[in-house]
Amino acid sequence: MMSAELKGSLNALIAPIGAIVLTMLLGFILVAAISDEPVLAYRELMFANFDSLSNFAMFLNRATPLVLISVGITFAFRAGVFNVGGEGQLFAGAITTTVVGIAFATLPAMILFPFAVISGIAAGAAVGWVPGILKVKLGVDEVVVTLMLNTIVLLFTSYLVNQVIRDTTAYGAVSWELPEHIWLPSIPGIPDATSGFMIAVVLSLASWVVLFRTQWGAEVRSSGTNLRYAEAVGIAAGKRVITAMLIAGGFAGFAGSLYVLGIGHRFEQNFSPEYGLIALTCALLARVNPIASLFTALYYALMLNGAAYMQISTEVPRSLVILLTGLLVLLMTARLARKDTNTQTFDAF
Amino acid sequence: MITLRANILNVAVEGMMLVSAFSAIAVGSVSGSALAGFSAGIFGAVITSLVFSIITLRFGAGFIVAGLGINLLAAGGTLFALERWYNSPGGLRPLGFPEIWYVPEGSLSFVPFLGSVLEGQSIIVLLTFLAVPACWIFLYRTPTGSYLRAAGEDENAARSAGINVVRMKMLAVTISGLLSGLAGAQLAMNKLHFFLPNMTAGRGFIGLAATLFGAGHPWATSGAAVLFGFFGALGDRLQAFDIPAQFVLMLPYLVAILALTFSRWRIYVRNKPAKL
Repeated sequence: MMSAELKGSLNALIAPIGAIVLTMLLGFILVAAISDEPVLAYRELMFANFDSLSNFAMFLNRATPLVLISVGITFAFRAGVFNVGGEGQLFAGAITTTVVGIAFATLPAMILFPFAVISGIAAGAAVGWVPGILKVKLGVDEVVVTLMLNTIVLLFTSYLVNQVIRDTTAYGAVSWELPEHIWLPSIPGIPDATSGFMIAVVLSLASWVVLFRTQWGAEVRSSGTNLRYAEAVGIAAGKRVITAMLIAGGFAGFAGSLYVLGIGHRFEQNFSPEYGLIALTCALLARVNPIASLFTALYYALMLNGAAYMQISTEVPRSLVILLTGLLVLLMTARLARKDTNTQTFDAF
Repeated sequence: MITLRANILNVAVEGMMLVSAFSAIAVGSVSGSALAGFSAGIFGAVITSLVFSIITLRFGAGFIVAGLGINLLAAGGTLFALERWYNSPGGLRPLGFPEIWYVPEGSLSFVPFLGSVLEGQSIIVLLTFLAVPACWIFLYRTPTGSYLRAAGEDENAARSAGINVVRMKMLAVTISGLLSGLAGAQLAMNKLHFFLPNMTAGRGFIGLAATLFGAGHPWATSGAAVLFGFFGALGDRLQAFDIPAQFVLMLPYLVAILALTFSRWRIYVRNKPAKL
């Protein structure tokens, strides 16, 4: 019994790791073809993040939103909603926290901080709620709705940051800085690393417990596997699906909120290198498991930041990483589906 | 659009357009021939669509995930090529790019109204106008077209009727690659003559929305696409007024969501059991 279970979880590990290794190999061939120093390039890509404390802090900062969004997406996926809207939910959270923080800057931190965070989470959750309710009530395709909502939210934030709360002394589309007394402190011992990272780690562990060790989590998962069956055995499946989308949106909104409070200290229109899409990749690569998502998000943060170091020292273009990400997504899904044709959760599309 | 009829949500059109735009400009500038650039654009998109269909149909990857992967691959790949070979991550603007053919003045004067609109537009626009009835004929008036629709409507039934479902889906993806290749080539070659990273800017997704809006029917879809295009162009015009540009740019997306919701709502109401 035990060995069968062990074998199962080993198998679950082999496919994604195989995809990662294969991608890195292909990437190495590509780098070797265009650069004289492929080994140096790859060293920079993988390990430059640990060269100094400040590099490490930047790595943690990069990972924080990724962890939060991908853990949130886990809830949506487990409930059978293909939530591509992480980006929009993230932006909604970030802009709301910024607007609240700037508008009520005079309030004491004790009140303003929770107010700003909660409104950020609520905004993200609201953006997640729309596709959820449309899917449950009317069967509207959630992929399209979330994709469209991403663009709508991004345009709306662009309006706010350009026309309403723009810092007129700064260059580019950025908002006024948030009042300093609600900034999130950094992790003790690592200056400039946001303590939001620790929150993200705790939340990913807690999410695993909620999804896999509580009755509510089991109900969400069964609603995702088979909505009709779940309803037939007396689960309020539609409600569970909508709640899962609220949580997914809330997590992404929280990520945006923590970003402006802990890292950016203001809203920047281009603060996200497609965090939403990358987090989706992380969640899939982790086979929709919150704890595994933590590690895949760390891996991606490593790659994203490493690419910048790589470009500086070897002139290998940074966009290599986007290319590799795309490759990884393709290889991963292809392998995943071939290995176990019975357990594809997302083959419906 | 064709793909939807084969029950595939083709998210990869965005990536296909991008590849097409890039290869059209790259080849066109090297060869100095508009025809070569144009065919390279189409070719690039078709190759991309082949990769997409092999990954999804042969290796059973999910269409949405693989489509998003293709989009990333296209964005990263074109940017990578820009930085590597042209040393200009900002975009590619070749000097002296050959003009594509424009429909000469007066040649279409026998068509009322539409003729004068089309004159002076690029040949690709003309091709697009021809593509709509061509798709309709293909889908509804040829045996292959009806096989394709059957494969999309009920895979198992189609298979038991002896239709090669995988081949039909592959065909659908390839045609959609061909058409998005047209779109990409038009985008890059018409007037602009340059390539920018991410220049497609979500047009593929709007096209997707138009398709869903038109329920996969060629005429309805192109109607929706024209409507969305109208909103986009309206956005460009209205920027001159006081309305913030962002709100106008939002319109096509908002309309898409509302339209989708409304069409589903109608089905929902119709299917509601009558009160006893």
